[in-house]
Amino acid sequence: MNPLPADLLLLSIAAPLAAALAIALGLPRKPALAAAAAGFAAPALAAVWCWLAFSGAPLSDGYAFRSAYDVGLGHIGIRLALGLNGVAMPLFALAGITGLAAGLYALQSGAERLRLYLMLLLVMQGGLMGVFASVDIFFFYFFHELALIPTFIMVGVWGGRGRNYAAMKMTIYLTLGAMLSLAGIIALYQGSGAQTFDLVSLRAAIAAQPLPELAQKNIFALLMFGFGVLVSLWPLHTWAPSGYAAAPTSAAMLHAGVLKKFGLYGLLQLAFPLLPAGAENWAGVLAWLALANVLVIGMVTLAQSDLRRMLGYSSVMHMGYAFLGLAAGGAPGAGAAVMLMVGHGFSVALLFLLASCIQKRTRTPDMAGMGGLVKDAPVLAAFFTAATLAGLGLPGFANFWGELGVFVAVWGAPALGPGFAAAAVAGIIISAIYGLRSVARVFFGPRTATFGEIAEAQPPRDLRRGEKIPALILLAALLLIGFWPKSISTAIDAGLSSAAGAATSAAIDRNRLRSAAIDRGTAADAGGAGPEERRDAASTLAAAGTAAAAAK
Amino acid sequence: MPLTPVQLALATLLLPLGSAAFIALFLRRRGGAAAFVSVAACAGHAAAAFLLAFGGHREAAVNASFEWLRLGAFAVSIDIKFDDLAALMLCIVALVGFCVHVFSLGYMRGDSARGRYFGGLGIFMFSMTGIVLAGNLFMMFIFWELVGFSSWLLINHYCEKPAAAAAAKKAFIVNRVGDFGFLLGIIWCHHAFGTVNLAGIAAQTAAAGAGAHAISAGIPLLLFCGAVGKSAQFPLHVWLPDAMEGPTPVSALIHAATMVAAGIYMLCRVEPLFAAAPAALTVVMWTGVVTALYAALCAVVQGDIKKILAYSTLSQLGYMVAAFGLGGQTAAHAGAATAGTHAAAGGVLLAAGAAAAMFHLATHAFFKALLFLGAGSVIHGCHHEQEIFKMGGLFRKMPLTFAFFTIGVLAIAGLPFISGFYSKDAILHLAQQKNGLVFAVLVFTAVLTAFYMARMWKLVFLGRSRSEASDYVRESGPAMVLPLAVLAAFSVAGGWLALYAPWFADVAGRVPHVGGAGLVIMSAAIIALGAGVALALYKAPVRGLSKLVSPDTLAVRAPLVFGALALANALPDRLYNHYVAKIQQRLALVLNSIDRFLIDGLIVRGLAAVTGLFGMGARALHTGSVHAYVYWFLAGAALAWAFAAGVF
Repeated sequence: MNPLPADLLLLSIAAPLAAALAIALGLPRKPALAAAAAGFAAPALAAVWCWLAFSGAPLSDGYAFRSAYDVGLGHIGIRLALGLNGVAMPLFALAGITGLAAGLYALQSGAERLRLYLMLLLVMQGGLMGVFASVDIFFFYFFHELALIPTFIMVGVWGGRGRNYAAMKMTIYLTLGAMLSLAGIIALYQGSGAQTFDLVSLRAAIAAQPLPELAQKNIFALLMFGFGVLVSLWPLHTWAPSGYAAAPTSAAMLHAGVLKKFGLYGLLQLAFPLLPAGAENWAGVLAWLALANVLVIGMVTLAQSDLRRMLGYSSVMHMGYAFLGLAAGGAPGAGAAVMLMVGHGFSVALLFLLASCIQKRTRTPDMAGMGGLVKDAPVLAAFFTAATLAGLGLPGFANFWGELGVFVAVWGAPALGPGFAAAAVAGIIISAIYGLRSVARVFFGPRTATFGEIAEAQPPRDLRRGEKIPALILLAALLLIGFWPKSISTAIDAGLSSAAGAATSAAIDRNRLRSAAIDRGTAADAGGAGPEERRDAASTLAAAGTAAAAAK
Repeated sequence: MPLTPVQLALATLLLPLGSAAFIALFLRRRGGAAAFVSVAACAGHAAAAFLLAFGGHREAAVNASFEWLRLGAFAVSIDIKFDDLAALMLCIVALVGFCVHVFSLGYMRGDSARGRYFGGLGIFMFSMTGIVLAGNLFMMFIFWELVGFSSWLLINHYCEKPAAAAAAKKAFIVNRVGDFGFLLGIIWCHHAFGTVNLAGIAAQTAAAGAGAHAISAGIPLLLFCGAVGKSAQFPLHVWLPDAMEGPTPVSALIHAATMVAAGIYMLCRVEPLFAAAPAALTVVMWTGVVTALYAALCAVVQGDIKKILAYSTLSQLGYMVAAFGLGGQTAAHAGAATAGTHAAAGGVLLAAGAAAAMFHLATHAFFKALLFLGAGSVIHGCHHEQEIFKMGGLFRKMPLTFAFFTIGVLAIAGLPFISGFYSKDAILHLAQQKNGLVFAVLVFTAVLTAFYMARMWKLVFLGRSRSEASDYVRESGPAMVLPLAVLAAFSVAGGWLALYAPWFADVAGRVPHVGGAGLVIMSAAIIALGAGVALALYKAPVRGLSKLVSPDTLAVRAPLVFGALALANALPDRLYNHYVAKIQQRLALVLNSIDRFLIDGLIVRGLAAVTGLFGMGARALHTGSVHAYVYWFLAGAALAWAFAAGVF
């Protein structure tokens, strides 16, 4: 059943947590650093392994690599059930790879009380891997909290300017958002009557007996606004810019890059498939708020002078595209949203990493006090330019596919249409303006007077190896998906089609997907799939895909 | 081992990309090696392109499709479509690209960032080839954006200069404004036709032309927005003159010969859509006419040799766009009627105007690249002086450059029997048939073209040196002169080659053919008038520059005319700057204050204050006195009883 040598999903969660525990128990400095390195490397390796193995892995109920562990809460329907479906796998890979980059950066950062810092970061990493590996929504939520709480501490203790206010605001906002979504999850659990938090059983129960329409609408609203706060949906976004401006680099990378995607992932896995009537009712509101994210926050981003605040706002803006993709719905919209989540995750993590490299050299967070850095640090300039261009959706980087797909889906969505698409596409002009403006202000032209003095006193160096390696990891991921989007889109597409099919009965589902596979001109041997065929419909599709690939 | 046509096509695409990646990874600090790798890759690109184009490989043998991404119904693929149109464009890109690469060996010698420069050229060649080969609009958009990026990178080459950084940014953003419409047009196509494949669109428009359903003029007009941005048509022309901040070979390759012409090429690619919606063609035609005239007027008052050439490029691009807009007007019915059979055969069907635009694109690529590289040779010789009023007398010091540059000037002015004559007269002939006003404007523009080119030519090459910059000038080395010779040869012969050679019949065969002495006389008259006035008005440079009197004779003789032209030249930029500073930035600041003070301040903190008040109220209840708690308990019990009894 499981093609992996061991339960890599469990390993990817347990390894960072074990490393954190070991450090907490008082490992001396050197072994502690080694343990932390192992704790960051293990999930990354597991994630890449799962990415590579996913296309050939057999699926059950749309999930690969499934396993389940009893944690003693079986009587209320909670088990540690792990597995990856087509939507979770790219995000799991994102979490592992970004975690490695953030960890490597933290290891060389020379932060005060480094061991404590690494411990918190490892806890966060364990939680992140858990979020996307969980099939049980109790644990899905639990792992999110596990990752969230260290963030608050890290912002409060290791943060930059205004960290106390930022940490307090972030805590209140995100806790409230998480509480709302928890209320929604519990309501879903109660409403389904399935007495289980297992997503697969829950889906089956709700497919058999959908919730009443009013309940769907209310629960959807809880989830939408709860998750919305976590993903900085306008106007519930103000925690993000101040929070990211103050957060220590690695925490900002992991939160903006990965943890923030929890809300979108929750909407995509829970709210939209389980509450179709609620989604229909609220998709319009969601789309309008998301459009405000794109246009209003886009304009606000133009007005920023603080580099990290600008990045924070731009990240809020791009979340608008992801929301728009979800609101447009269908495989193109939702799939594009996932591609955008992955692309944005890598690019924003890279941007926060580089922003702190810049700030270290210019000694100011304000872009007005920078300039001409390209002469001293050409490699840094190249990396920052690449990350910015990725962020503004240049083809060749992962983000482009997501944005393009969102625009296409929005135009095609009956509730939204061409006008909406035109307004959303206007965002590409805004992001080009603030992106290129920031590159020019930091790197080009002459040095400003203030930066000139600083640079005289201590000439800025180019990227050091410890900074370059994590940046290179993230840039490589951006380019890989940019040039070869099928590396993740095949899984996403199959995952979304099978999720859509899960609502109907399995037999119909199988036929439909098989005929879809034949329609695509693949070499699927339909006759071979007899009644004793035990594999799931989606795995047939995946197998057909690999057969076609092999035939090529 | 001979490569298959598909492999050749992929080689043209991937060789430059490979060289750029190799340079970025390993040769960042080794400029000489980077230059070598880049030129070698470009030679390979050119070889593959010529094998493909002149080996007789077309459509069926070369076309290929690879799926790139699929999300449900939304799919993007890499489609290669190689017809005569693509073959012609690919040859232009390969030839001019190779000349510019070789020229750069000389021009960029001693530049500290040669690695970045040649890497950027590689990315450009890759993305431009992608546009040429693209068989569907999504793919074209992808490479469209990538040429925009390489243009940004190369304009920004001297990035410590604030003007260069600003120009690069402006070029990218203005192009994005055009791409906004282009992308919407593509998405509209995707939903209207269910495909963005060029052959698929052609087939469907043919069906629509037969009366199935009408095609909105909105689609071609939105697609045209992309061409307005990329080919710098009025009112998005403002980025191109600024783009001259880049190194001169880059200006020759990207901002004169190939990338800016991509807009015209794209229009020819989606020509069936225009044929189905002729209303859009009128808009295209007038945009082109206005750009041609406006830019020629602006060129008259420029003092920077590259700016003159930039405005001249704008003007010529305007000619091409106008030609495209002209051609379909009467050909629409015939085009729609035969499009069905033609699209079924998988070929292109170009209206006369589109073919004339493409023909002018080809000849213009050669003579404008020649002029820019010639200007590069001059600038290199004059120690990076670009002001024509500080040059003079260069014909003695740079005889070869002078000779080749003169050929370029004659070609653009349309001297009978060299390339510019054929392509420009094809356009004028078409205009004469279709629209008298357009014809008059275009003829006047041709006179202006001869005027400003003759002005520049005389001030730069004749007379005596005017400043130290041009005192000690030597002829450029062979790396710079040889490409000039090649381009000069094509500037002379390009017209005959394109018209009478058998290789690009689908394009050349549809160029409106004119014979007879009438046109020769008209062309000669245009040149005589324009160049004659210029040569008479502007005196040959004499030693020294007066600080008091403006060196521009026109400014002295006719200050009103000069002032009006200068104002017209500066007006669009002023308007945009006003918009950016006074409207966009203010809106951003206002929204920022709303975000900070209203949403974050009033609402969020206000809510916090309300919560705080509740907290204070609740705290007031906790008095610590047992009596108070007893009363609270009683009140609570009474409430519970009342609720249970159904009082509420």
